[in-house]
Amino acid sequence: MIKIIKIAFLLTGTMVLGSVATAQQQQAKPNEHEQHQQHSEQQKEQPAAQHEHEEHHDHSGHSMSKTTGPATDHTGEHDKDHSVDDKTHEHAIDHSKHNVESTEHGDMHHHHHMDHDHMMDHEGTMIMGQNLDKLPSSCKSISEEVEITVRAGRKYAGKFPGTAFAFDQQEWRVKPCAKVTFHFINEDQIRHQFMMHGLPKYLYKYGMFHLEVTGPKTVSGTIIAPGSDDTFLVHCDISHHMEKGMKAQFIVGKGSENIPSIPGLTPYNRTDIYEAENLPRVSDKANQSAMVREITKTFAKQDTQNYLIILLGALVGLLCIPLVKMLIPRKKTEK
Amino acid sequence: MPNPILIAVMVFYLATASITAQASLKLPQTIKVDRAALTAEPPCDPKISPAWREAQVIDGVKIDASPACSPDNPAWIAAAVKGTNNVSMDTLMKTGLSPDTIIKTDDLDGDGDPDRIIIKLEVMELNGKSPDFPGIVPTFDIAPGVQPGVWVFAPKGSGMSTENFESVRANPLLRLPAPVIRVEQGDIVQLVLENTHYFPHSIHLHGVDHPFMHKEHGGGDGVPQTSEIELMPGERRVYEFQPRQAGTMFYHCHVQTHTHLSMGLAGMIVVEENRPNNWLQTLNIGGGHVRHSSVAIKEKFDQEYDMHYHAMDKELGDIIQKYNDPRLIARDMNQRYDITDSTEDYYTINGLSFPYSLRESLIIVKPDQKIKLRLLNSGGEMIAIHTHGHHATITHYDGVEHNPVAQIMRDVFDMAPAQRLDLTLETTNDGKHSYGEGDWLIHDHREKGITTNGMAEGGSMSSIVYTSYLGEDGLPKTSHFGIDLSHFFTKEYWERRVPIWQDLDETANLGSPAGQTVSMDAATKNSLLNATYGLLIGILIYFIFSKREYIKQSVMTVISRNKDGKGSQQ
Ligand SMILES: [Cu+2]
Ligand SMILES: [Cu+2]
Repeated sequence: MIKIIKIAFLLTGTMVLGSVATAQQQQAKPNEHEQHQQHSEQQKEQPAAQHEHEEHHDHSGHSMSKTTGPATDHTGEHDKDHSVDDKTHEHAIDHSKHNVESTEHGDMHHHHHMDHDHMMDHEGTMIMGQNLDKLPSSCKSISEEVEITVRAGRKYAGKFPGTAFAFDQQEWRVKPCAKVTFHFINEDQIRHQFMMHGLPKYLYKYGMFHLEVTGPKTVSGTIIAPGSDDTFLVHCDISHHMEKGMKAQFIVGKGSENIPSIPGLTPYNRTDIYEAENLPRVSDKANQSAMVREITKTFAKQDTQNYLIILLGALVGLLCIPLVKMLIPRKKTEK
Repeated sequence: MPNPILIAVMVFYLATASITAQASLKLPQTIKVDRAALTAEPPCDPKISPAWREAQVIDGVKIDASPACSPDNPAWIAAAVKGTNNVSMDTLMKTGLSPDTIIKTDDLDGDGDPDRIIIKLEVMELNGKSPDFPGIVPTFDIAPGVQPGVWVFAPKGSGMSTENFESVRANPLLRLPAPVIRVEQGDIVQLVLENTHYFPHSIHLHGVDHPFMHKEHGGGDGVPQTSEIELMPGERRVYEFQPRQAGTMFYHCHVQTHTHLSMGLAGMIVVEENRPNNWLQTLNIGGGHVRHSSVAIKEKFDQEYDMHYHAMDKELGDIIQKYNDPRLIARDMNQRYDITDSTEDYYTINGLSFPYSLRESLIIVKPDQKIKLRLLNSGGEMIAIHTHGHHATITHYDGVEHNPVAQIMRDVFDMAPAQRLDLTLETTNDGKHSYGEGDWLIHDHREKGITTNGMAEGGSMSSIVYTSYLGEDGLPKTSHFGIDLSHFFTKEYWERRVPIWQDLDETANLGSPAGQTVSMDAATKNSLLNATYGLLIGILIYFIFSKREYIKQSVMTVISRNKDGKGSQQ
């Protein structure tokens, strides 16, 4: 009888196996293309309305940059005698008249790129997508005028373990239709950006407002917030600055959905795995006399550890004997 | 007794044997991969305008023609020659460079060219992990779909790291290799490192005449164990030097060099001989063809090419794709990665592997030319560069001229790590310098050097192509031999999913066999094995069940004996 059951079990086993194998082959295909198609969620924000009415305004006389720390290394260079003999190489822009003072009231005026929404000075300080006076269609008037100082630098990453760069704040709030001037202070000696995305495209080229400056230095720029509640991504787009902490959100009114992976504010979409590590500690040494140390050394050996565990197992087994004894007689009586 | 285990094994064997026998009667069909199923890329980068190939003058800078299919952006060359401080804003806006990336001023010796040169470099990560989406950013392919995690010195840029906000692809300035730097003998050079990366770095000027310690700016040699502390994220350091000797040299990061160099923080630096009116192309971004050579080179040569060979370990680059937290990356790189157990997987020339090397790093020649080749090996092993169809002359080792009388011709050039060789390639058809016109390969003759993560034909392979063998698109003409390179321009090829010989004949004799449901692939084997374990466990349980009375008894006796023993002791 038992033998027959056994054989039957065997046969069904082999049959099931065959079908499992086929199923596995058919499943192997999907899951490969995900990677490239997806991009971060926050980048999908589209302005609610996309109107097409372009106005052209002048925005003269806006202070652009001022040095807050020691001048960058080459500012002095422009003072020096430019005796470069330019026979074939004509200077499109004459640098010889530069002097250090020019940085104080913003180089922007007599210099460099100045189209409607892209201004840049000779050190790469940049204002893009500034809006001083174009009212969003959802606003009847400016609700408030606000000045926000944003500091950026490595030192602000200190309070967020696992980051490298950060802004001093991770969130700014204004009323709808507020006119906001950002003073972006870069306290590092490298480039940082204050880049806002998802603004209405009829007012902001690419829906973007962008300040960029090599520190230590300040750059200021103005926008007018949309008339409805919304939340905008602010980040630095230098490779891995956002990923390593330089990320924040600009909240208009009540805001909308939070933006992920802002340090101290919102969780990462994808987190790393952390494991406890065998790091040396002062306490390892401090409370141990020489003899204790000797003993722990032998205990720490792999073999000793194994034996200890076996011993432990045996003890547990011994403790269980009374239990077994209690069970067995009961069974016997049942029979 | 008729062992139940024996019966089980017999039945099992019979069942599988009969199925296998049936299958071998008819072998599976060949499945040919349909071309339409492949992600085909155009052989030439469609984002690059063919107008870039032409000889042209921008802002007064003469730029030589460069007929390869993806030549350098001529605006880069103009900005590098004039300096970003002198070039027109219109040209600068086409470069993506910052206006202070290359500052050229002060003709100190009065010979018609600037002698104070400031060059600003940043440190950029490519193909690193994002905490926002399951992918890497910003992406850079060394071959179609091949995206190792790398770091690189990049010329100081302006604006976004990606092409645009919708794209994850790195902007063209963020690429391997670190740019070739060209300065003139006697120039006062400030190489400014702005550490935009989340790890400490430095610059060591290997072979370039530089002070061990600069009075004003501190660190000179870039070594954290001798002359300077690590340059931390967010900090800037000026490396000032005034090189007295010309030559082909090397610069690289000297912090945790065993990983940082291989990660890509390495580039070529050339000190050119001092000549009047010597406006140099300060940066050759991407390496390759020099389209505005120095006065001294133009005196002797028809063309000049910078050829930077590099090698990378996949397992090292994977670390920045595994973690986002800099502490974990540091732990894995500094404490867990063991370079003595490592192997190199990617071999590049000027930052790219075959077939992308064909886009940028062809040596395009005409008969009877004299061509200057500058070679650098920044990989961790010896390489052996072989020129098909040519013998070239080694003129300089490590930037120092070899005694002209003793200079030798070779067709294999062995280069130790960090070594530089200057070669003179002459396309004179005499059976020695050149065997005549053709599309002649130039490749590392260690055979792994022509693979990409073990997949051939990849690696640092490129060609010396005579213009008579060059197609209109700038790629070597191969189709008239019936050669089709298009499968190399698909990511599926590098994913090892295309049987490479399937198209060599009509019947696809060496194509891929269809799978069979009964064939023993790994998964099936595994399930069979599991079933066998299950069987054995079942039998064991049955055995215990049937003998339960006996087991019970023996356990009881053991226990009672134990009890007795204890009792007697008391
Ligand atoms: Cu930044
Ligand atoms: Cu480094």
